[in-house]
Amino acid sequence: MNSLTDRLVSLMIGSAAALVAAVLGWVLLDILYRGIGDLSWEFLAQPPEDAGRSGGIAPIIVSTMLILMVALIAAVPLSLSAAAALAQQRHRRFGWAWIASRCLDVLAAVPSVVFGLFGNAFFCVALGMGYSILAGGLTLACMILPILIHTTEHGLRAVPADYHYAAASLGLSRTTTFFRITLPAALPAIAAGLVLGIGRALAETAALIFTAGYVTRQPESLMGSGRSMSVHIFDMAMNVPAGDGRANATAALLVAMLLIINAAAMSLASKASAKLSGQTAEDMNSRQYV
Amino acid sequence: MLARALYPPKNHLIHHPTTPVGIETPVGIESIGASCRLILNASFWVRLCAGVIAVTLMPGCHTRSDGAAEITSSGLSGRLTVTGSSTLAPLVVEIAKRFEQLNPGVRIDVQTGGTGKGIADVRSGVADIGMASRPLKGNETDLNAYKIAADGVSLIVHESNPVQELTQRQVVGIYTGKIDNWLQCGGRDQSIQVVHKAEGRATLEVFLKHFQIDNPDVKADVIVGDNQHGIKTVAGAVGALGYVSIGTAEVEAATGTPIRLLPVGGIAATTAKVASGEFPMSRPLNLVTIDLANPLVRTFVEFCQSEEVHDQVVAQYFVPIKK
Repeated sequence: MNSLTDRLVSLMIGSAAALVAAVLGWVLLDILYRGIGDLSWEFLAQPPEDAGRSGGIAPIIVSTMLILMVALIAAVPLSLSAAAALAQQRHRRFGWAWIASRCLDVLAAVPSVVFGLFGNAFFCVALGMGYSILAGGLTLACMILPILIHTTEHGLRAVPADYHYAAASLGLSRTTTFFRITLPAALPAIAAGLVLGIGRALAETAALIFTAGYVTRQPESLMGSGRSMSVHIFDMAMNVPAGDGRANATAALLVAMLLIINAAAMSLASKASAKLSGQTAEDMNSRQYV
Repeated sequence: MLARALYPPKNHLIHHPTTPVGIETPVGIESIGASCRLILNASFWVRLCAGVIAVTLMPGCHTRSDGAAEITSSGLSGRLTVTGSSTLAPLVVEIAKRFEQLNPGVRIDVQTGGTGKGIADVRSGVADIGMASRPLKGNETDLNAYKIAADGVSLIVHESNPVQELTQRQVVGIYTGKIDNWLQCGGRDQSIQVVHKAEGRATLEVFLKHFQIDNPDVKADVIVGDNQHGIKTVAGAVGALGYVSIGTAEVEAATGTPIRLLPVGGIAATTAKVASGEFPMSRPLNLVTIDLANPLVRTFVEFCQSEEVHDQVVAQYFVPIKK
């Protein structure tokens, strides 16, 4: 009886896991199958022609990368500082840190199109940036802040208190402890957060169509308008008759870029964490030896 | 300028710290690697930030789009912002590209967001030219419209639907919820899925005006955004009825999407019939401006209306206007 229930349950959870994996596999295969026909070197190297139905997406890739760069340069230092401040307040319940992290929860739940309208009103119109890569990148930075801060804060909190006590006993200042001990130990978690943030930023369409804009020309500066790959996919699939092939090819490229970025960030993080944990193990051994 | 910002001289105003901490590296963290050290090195961040600020500010002096144009010896130069109808945007992008090739000093930025946004942006001065895929309304007499092409709106059904034509009363009945089965229109016993456009879409206004339906009376099953969305919805539902731009629907039907265009008032829904002016449910595609005082705006609008761009109009499945 018991073993029958056990088997049933394990069958159920096993098939649920298989289903989740199958969905990912299906999406990837479908995009690759539909997009691979239009993928070529010309597609990567040429500007779009005939409303995007022929030619390539070279300027769009450049714009996407510039928008992402602006977003990360604006968001990473800010989120690191904010997370450090929040993580310091680890024992207090109701204070500014509590209010700040509840605010971040709300910010994380704001739909991206709202960020788009905000970015258009604030960066494009109020600050006079116009439709520009800078405005788009800063809007994305606002959007990925909650993810970056949350993951970084959790990473910083997970650093064992022993490290801090050891550092204090050696007479290190709090700043030195943070930069030389806490931050390196939290690097894998920060990298994971960065991967999530980059994923959300690369996928974003609604926030960018009103801020970075629709222009397919090679961007001349950060103040120029530039179309991101996600906006291009949306436009090809929705506004351009017979644009489906190019939309799928762009989607395949975007997915490939995401997978590469994910793999790179994860391997960097695991290398850093392997080094760190290796050292901790050594420490433990020597301590036992003593 | 960039190089100076990245590598400031020793006596530069920017505080340029040497190795940030004076305390020896604690035991156990030594071998994290050079990359981590670079990231943790404060002077690296100072240089990076200085570089980014320099890159950001450098081009800022000349890029704000206010449509300022000047005649130089080489012809026109300046920057225009065009926003509005997502139907018209792909066409204007192509025309703008050709215009930029003919006038190398000109940059035209085409943005999208719908006819309503185009009109609002022209009024607020955010854009120099708006794109509107409908005629101007009575409360928009402060603006001028310049027709650059035409587009028809057609009813579409799934390819397998045996119904060949719907009367005015049947269409009104279906869209106001009085008819909900194809049996009532001479078709199979199949419920009707009414596909309707979202508020603010120009095709919606053309459709409602032609059939004289008030939008609040419409009982829709599906609300779609743009033409491709509408076509995909109808192609995916055997009992669906929708309405989309003829140019788009004609291409999709020809490339194998399972939809069929229904005639309106006995006239076949083809781009040829729209061009000849016979097809009743059609709309103009307009550029909208406050005035043509700016020579760059005037030249671009005239270029969009000229025969030089007719091949591009046809390539985007619209119907060119013969003067």
